[in-house]
Amino acid sequence: MSKNLRIINSKYIDQTSRISFKFDGKTLYGFKGDTLASALLANDIHLVGRSFKYHRPRGIMACGPEEPNAIVQVGSDASMTEPNTRATEIELYEGLEASSQNCWPSVNFDIGAVNNFFSPLIPAAFYYKTFMWPANFWKLYEYFIRKSAGLGKSPTEPDKDIYDHRYLHCDVLVVGGGISGIIAAKTAAKNNFNTLLIDDKNILGGTTLFQKNECFKINNSYSNEWLKKEIENLKSLKNLTIKTRTSLAAYHSYNYLLARENLTDHLDLNEKKDKIRQRLWKIRAKKVIIATGAMERPLIFNNNDRPGIMLSSSIKKYIDYYGVKCGQQISLFTNNDSAYETAISLSNSGVSVNSVIDIRDKSNSLIVKQAEKLGIKIHWKHTVVNTNGYKKINSIEIMKLSDDGTTVVGKKMKEGCDCLGISGGWTPRVHLFTQSGGKLKFRDNDNVFLPDKSELDQISIGSCNGDFELDEVTKNSVNLINKFLKVNNNDYENLEIISSKEIDKKNIWLLPSDKPLGKTKPFLDFQNDSTANDVKLALREGFKSIEHVKRYTTTGMATDQGKLSNMHALGIIAETAGVKMGELGTTTFRPPYTPLTFGAIVGRNVGEFFDITRKTPIHDWHAKHNAEFENVGQWKRAWYYPIGNENMHEAVQRESKAARDSAGILDASTLGKIDIQGSDASEFLNRVYTNAWSKLEIGKCRYGLMLNEDGMVYDDGVTTRISENHYLMTTTTGGAANVLGKLEDYLQTEWPELDVYLTSVTDHYATVSICGPNSKKILSKVIPDLNLSDKEFPHMSFKNALIDNIKCRVMRISFTGEHSYEINIQSSYGKSLWEKCFEAGKEFNITPYGTETMHLLRAEKGFIIAGQDTDGTMTPVDLQMDWIISKKKYDFIGKRSLYRSDTIRDDRKQLVGLLTDDPKEVLEEGAQIVLETKKQPIEMLGHVTSSYFSPNLNKSIALAVVKNGKKLKGQKMFVPMKNKTINVTITDTVFLDKENKRLNA
Amino acid sequence: MLNYNSPIMETKEYPDIKISEVEPILKINLRGKNRDFVTKVGKELSIIPPVDPNTSSSNEKLNLLWLSPDEWFLYSNNKIELKDSNFLEDSLFNEISKKKLGSVTNVSDHWVKINLSGTKIFDLLSAGCPFNFSNFKNSKGAVTQTLVNHIDVIIHNKNTNELNLFVRRSFSMHLWSWLNDSARFI
Amino acid sequence: MFLINCPYCGERDQSEFSAGGEAHIVRPKQPTELSDDEWAEFLFMRKNIKGIQFERWNHAHGCRKWFNVIRDTSNDKIHAVYKMGEEPPIK
Repeated sequence: MSKNLRIINSKYIDQTSRISFKFDGKTLYGFKGDTLASALLANDIHLVGRSFKYHRPRGIMACGPEEPNAIVQVGSDASMTEPNTRATEIELYEGLEASSQNCWPSVNFDIGAVNNFFSPLIPAAFYYKTFMWPANFWKLYEYFIRKSAGLGKSPTEPDKDIYDHRYLHCDVLVVGGGISGIIAAKTAAKNNFNTLLIDDKNILGGTTLFQKNECFKINNSYSNEWLKKEIENLKSLKNLTIKTRTSLAAYHSYNYLLARENLTDHLDLNEKKDKIRQRLWKIRAKKVIIATGAMERPLIFNNNDRPGIMLSSSIKKYIDYYGVKCGQQISLFTNNDSAYETAISLSNSGVSVNSVIDIRDKSNSLIVKQAEKLGIKIHWKHTVVNTNGYKKINSIEIMKLSDDGTTVVGKKMKEGCDCLGISGGWTPRVHLFTQSGGKLKFRDNDNVFLPDKSELDQISIGSCNGDFELDEVTKNSVNLINKFLKVNNNDYENLEIISSKEIDKKNIWLLPSDKPLGKTKPFLDFQNDSTANDVKLALREGFKSIEHVKRYTTTGMATDQGKLSNMHALGIIAETAGVKMGELGTTTFRPPYTPLTFGAIVGRNVGEFFDITRKTPIHDWHAKHNAEFENVGQWKRAWYYPIGNENMHEAVQRESKAARDSAGILDASTLGKIDIQGSDASEFLNRVYTNAWSKLEIGKCRYGLMLNEDGMVYDDGVTTRISENHYLMTTTTGGAANVLGKLEDYLQTEWPELDVYLTSVTDHYATVSICGPNSKKILSKVIPDLNLSDKEFPHMSFKNALIDNIKCRVMRISFTGEHSYEINIQSSYGKSLWEKCFEAGKEFNITPYGTETMHLLRAEKGFIIAGQDTDGTMTPVDLQMDWIISKKKYDFIGKRSLYRSDTIRDDRKQLVGLLTDDPKEVLEEGAQIVLETKKQPIEMLGHVTSSYFSPNLNKSIALAVVKNGKKLKGQKMFVPMKNKTINVTITDTVFLDKENKRLNA
Repeated sequence: MLNYNSPIMETKEYPDIKISEVEPILKINLRGKNRDFVTKVGKELSIIPPVDPNTSSSNEKLNLLWLSPDEWFLYSNNKIELKDSNFLEDSLFNEISKKKLGSVTNVSDHWVKINLSGTKIFDLLSAGCPFNFSNFKNSKGAVTQTLVNHIDVIIHNKNTNELNLFVRRSFSMHLWSWLNDSARFI
Repeated sequence: MFLINCPYCGERDQSEFSAGGEAHIVRPKQPTELSDDEWAEFLFMRKNIKGIQFERWNHAHGCRKWFNVIRDTSNDKIHAVYKMGEEPPIK
């Protein structure tokens, strides 16, 4: 097996530094500069995988991102393994381990290959058709299909690699570092454009880099030598940034592009550690020059998928660039001139070329003449009708084409070979252009789709723009660049170019065979295993749209997005349906151009940085006192403070009892706070809240409900009048940013006449809330000189105060129904104030409580939480809060909606209290409430919104919304659960202290 | 006595980047629309509020940053005594808010000032900031409000390769940690 | 991701902005005078055009100002931006 297929001619492979790697468990050797594919080929390994549907042996076919077959699993570690990578793009490194995919138990003996013998039974959409019926059998089918489908294995542990994102702004982005890209980058940078040049290979130069042929010369040098000098000259350009190993993934509108840079994939295993593996560049370019080149097309003929059948241009790259012979007896099969470049390269490197089979009648170009001069045999007007060899090609069968090209005539010839190069012409890489919204046009003479119109500031140059010949590439690119950049660069004005010209063209999408179509296997999409026959079947079955044919046959839907298959699929569809290709259009090219790792997509937004966290100034104290935290929006709020082995329930019961029995302390710093100033502040509040504000005295606080224009409750909170034209509004924790945004919106757009200014002060203040019967005593210790008498400082009022000379605002407001105070102090003193209050409260067993206890305490009082007991469909009337709607005010946000026909319906869901017959039974939040359990279907009348076991009442309590609930007080209802039905009774929403005596206790 | 606690209280150094929290400093948000407001602010602070977007005006002690056509952000260069801070806030409030010319709001603890210096600070920001710094970089005094790692910030170009970045206090620990994590890879 | 030219701050990345729906829907000055249908027209009825659309945007992570944008929804091209209260520069 291990023949040495290396020749010594390559400057790009360092044959002094040997690299060992493993493929399918076997240790092999390659050199620095190799890709996995070139190293495998040098070891005479073509067979690298099994096809997706029929499990046919498949070999390396190409040398770039379009590779459909050599899709391998890299790495064996459970956290580092990566499926679906292209062997043609993996740079070889010491320690690389790769394995074949989609085969079991091994690539050489694959059980699924039995599918190949049944292949006449597995036509297009076989799975769709067969496993449709009966519907409930799908569960059964799925298991087997999933097992035999799919490509590669996912890692089972978190990725250890580091990924990164970076924004980048440039004047000109050049995508592709081939000859036209180099010319573009140099022109742009020399003319003071801040330029970025990216290329997906490790080295610039594209295919010209190894084009050393008499037929392609610039200024009397081989084109590769000329280009190398140009690349060398780039180094001196200050405005130019070059990124190699960087592949453009997506091109969005507004010239926003994403490119993935591979930073460590090519490094030896031990060098990768602690470095960023891949970086996703988020590029904003003023101008974009696409110079992505073209891909060679395969030819579609019977059994065109055997290992050893490769794109002709790839064979050329393997010999000229990597110094690797893809075979020792190579045949070439073509419809154009480029295969002759391969023939000449092979011949010059001492590899014997059996013959070139050309479907054309003749070609008189320079390059063909040169091949003839070298004595290369050419079969004009012939086609390959079959290939032989199971795991590797060993011979081909050739026949003469009829004049119209639809059939074959004459005698069949057999030619032995160990490699067949195929060339079906060239497809411009227009993927990025179309991703960006550009429209394509069709050029008939060589059947290519080319960039036509685009809304963006961009151009395509070189072969991705349909210029395939050296003189055209240089001349047209230079002109286009100058026009696009509005510069007059004459560096390339007088180039002397020798370029072979292809005059004779011929194309047959599906080549004929001596066997009838049904008996042949002409593969179109190698990765998804669909044949030309499948496409024809789809058309016979009535599919007309190419998008439908694509989905029905899965042609072009594999991880390569049909880079090699699309054009032939379109050609065969057009031909069979009798329409012009240009009218048929193409399927949509979607980003990413080549698959992106999830790591590159998420960057460093993992672990600690998965989501943003906000912390209060008192956070460290909570953490130190064993608090469990709850996420409220982005905030980390203390949830409860377990002591010893307490579980959440036990901790919450203890905290709730302590707050009512003596004193509790809560960190309320997360509440949204908006400073409102201006001579129209009162009028503004009148308009945004449902209740009236003009008469609120200075120094007093008031609770307000804010609605949306549709009348539904949006937010709530207490607002304090600090002075004549100065208020402090509080909002819910989660609603803070939205409320401020909404209020700014009204001020800027609906009421610009109001003299009102809003400033967020949420983070400026820490808020310490002390509640319970002993709260007054504690506060008097903290602020001894503040008069706390009910007369001087009644419920719903506020005082300015000084604590150790630090200004603070004390509000006597309550969300628990207890006598309570909220102290607002600038955040830097928040933690210290909290500690001071805690110290002062020690003699009263002051108990820190978290959000869970807060929710329980307010539920005992029937206070709502906007967003928990409301869900955007509750009006204040639904909440039984009619008292808060001012009858006198002419207008406020949402007022008119409160008497729309829908909002005044009696049978709306309304907020009620709910008591379980069994006081120990705690309802589940979200549970449905019904009146009737026997009748089918059961009408669901409402659901539980808040539910707790109240230690202060020693029973279970709940809030719920129930249809027509207001009138149903005392009604027995049911909450059906999975294993039982719970009996409940509708009650008032206030469970504790209906007379509000505790507020002044 | 109540103790003062700023959220970070650290300075970190990396090759070509230094990040440090600078507190306590005075910060006041000023809002107003008419000419009288601008005149009064100018008189009180000896700095005229800049009217050009994304700019600032500074003197030895104070910086006044444009935030929007009716909003400015005042901050002191150096750490400031509480009594001086109270005095300035009160006099502005009395002259502007009480006289119905606009609003004056103390936001000293709403924002945390992080000073970034070194030749690679713009690379650091570009790890999480969509803003195009190419002109900003070279204009001393330039101001921008944007996002860094999805967090709102105000950035003030204080000097060549020196920025003051303001982030809301509750986000500051997270941003600090993110900046330091990013700085490892610059 | 578009670039939006904030009329106050200049060209910025779309991530700094939030969208606010259709522009030029004025809140009625006297809502109480309106029938249910008229109020519903203001409250609920919005165009959803493929093509040129007049929209409200807010520079939420910048100057926090609202303004209007004329955008072609079929290709996201922005034809004009103008301040609140101004007449559209293109009809």
